[in-house]
Amino acid sequence: MVVNVGDVVLPGECLPEPRSNKGVVILGPGLRRSEDDSKGLTVSRAGVLCHKAPNMYWVEGHAKRYVPCKGDLVVGVVAKKSGDQFKIDIGSAEHASLSAFSFEGATKKQKPDLQVGDVVYAKLVTAHREMEPELVCVNKYFKAANLGPLSNQGFLLNLDSRLIVRLLDVQHPLLAVLAKTCAYEIAIGMNGKVFVMGRTSKDTMHVAEALLAAQHHDNVTT
Amino acid sequence: MEMDSNTDCSMPISNFGNLTRPDGSTIYSQGKSTVIAGVYGPIDVKPQKMLIDRGSVETFFRPKSGLPGVGDRLYETIIRNICETALVSTLYPRSGIQVVIQEMQSGGELISCSVNAACLALLDSGIDMKFLIAAATCCLDQEGYLIVDPTELQQEKAKATFVFVFESSEGRIVASHTTGTFKLEQYEQALDLCKKGSAKIFEYYRKVINGKYNKK
Repeated sequence: MVVNVGDVVLPGECLPEPRSNKGVVILGPGLRRSEDDSKGLTVSRAGVLCHKAPNMYWVEGHAKRYVPCKGDLVVGVVAKKSGDQFKIDIGSAEHASLSAFSFEGATKKQKPDLQVGDVVYAKLVTAHREMEPELVCVNKYFKAANLGPLSNQGFLLNLDSRLIVRLLDVQHPLLAVLAKTCAYEIAIGMNGKVFVMGRTSKDTMHVAEALLAAQHHDNVTT
Repeated sequence: MEMDSNTDCSMPISNFGNLTRPDGSTIYSQGKSTVIAGVYGPIDVKPQKMLIDRGSVETFFRPKSGLPGVGDRLYETIIRNICETALVSTLYPRSGIQVVIQEMQSGGELISCSVNAACLALLDSGIDMKFLIAAATCCLDQEGYLIVDPTELQQEKAKATFVFVFESSEGRIVASHTTGTFKLEQYEQALDLCKKGSAKIFEYYRKVINGKYNKK
């Protein structure tokens, strides 16, 4: 079956003539090259087929499981501690590794005091399906830049990936509106984990409840 | 999932996301059989089951009550082989994909129902697939007539039972399972009938997925 941009697509359907730029087509998630070149692209996930000029294609579907992607900022929970390595649960298939030296100012003598169950905000430096994902808590100048261990006074939530994308949009009013009623800190991970900490535990729960409720609302904002 | 007396019993009914823990789930009812399917994946997998070039697919079939028996193991193997064909498992090396099927009500064509439920759950989970799959069951009764979508009683009394699984892109056969004795012509007739049945299921898939993505 042949499909067009904007259609709801199903695995196995094809897009015979994708628009290319000098023979190059950029494929996002949900699309593969057909085994038989005359068929062009084959869809491999259910969703809406999207296109960005001149040559980018992807399928916008909805998946609960997080697949690590290089450069993503994620919130993770320490699952294991072994020597200078931490294993962090970021919700992907495999635990990510985080070196004790990739924190600001960490040396062989002065290592971050992280326990199993602690929450960290980190950046993915390697994410490849053949390898274990790797996290760091410093930027390229070896500064923390808001990354690192998060307070254990806060609250960790698991949110829908669609809400995460909306929250990260600076135009989205939800976080600003919440900030008018209470003071809070928030760390939003692309993996769906969100850390919230208010000035009081009442504030924390207030924000957490609002975020959980926002999951059930549509994309439409006024 | 709503079902009233006017609902056409031959059309399947399903609903997504009834279970919150799995990555994709569906409750699916076809004829008089109902199953719940849940898909977890890609997930961490035990080192002895890990494959370095592709994801390992595991299937669990849970009967209505009690522990899974030998018959259920057979179902698991059939469903696993079919799912392995449909999935692009090379995209998930060193990880696992689990398909769990819980039988809710059995009234004939349970394998078909389970395979179709597994396909919908995989669609819901967003795991890459080469194509969709649809299964259909057909029975040969004692008089030599073919019955499409048989009931449990018809299936028990049947001389032969055929289960065919088709794929959506070119309509090729993915799996064929038969029990009993039959002639070659009867097999071919059953194949034709099941192919028509599977076309209906593919239409149904399209309808539910359209519904899922258009309501937003």
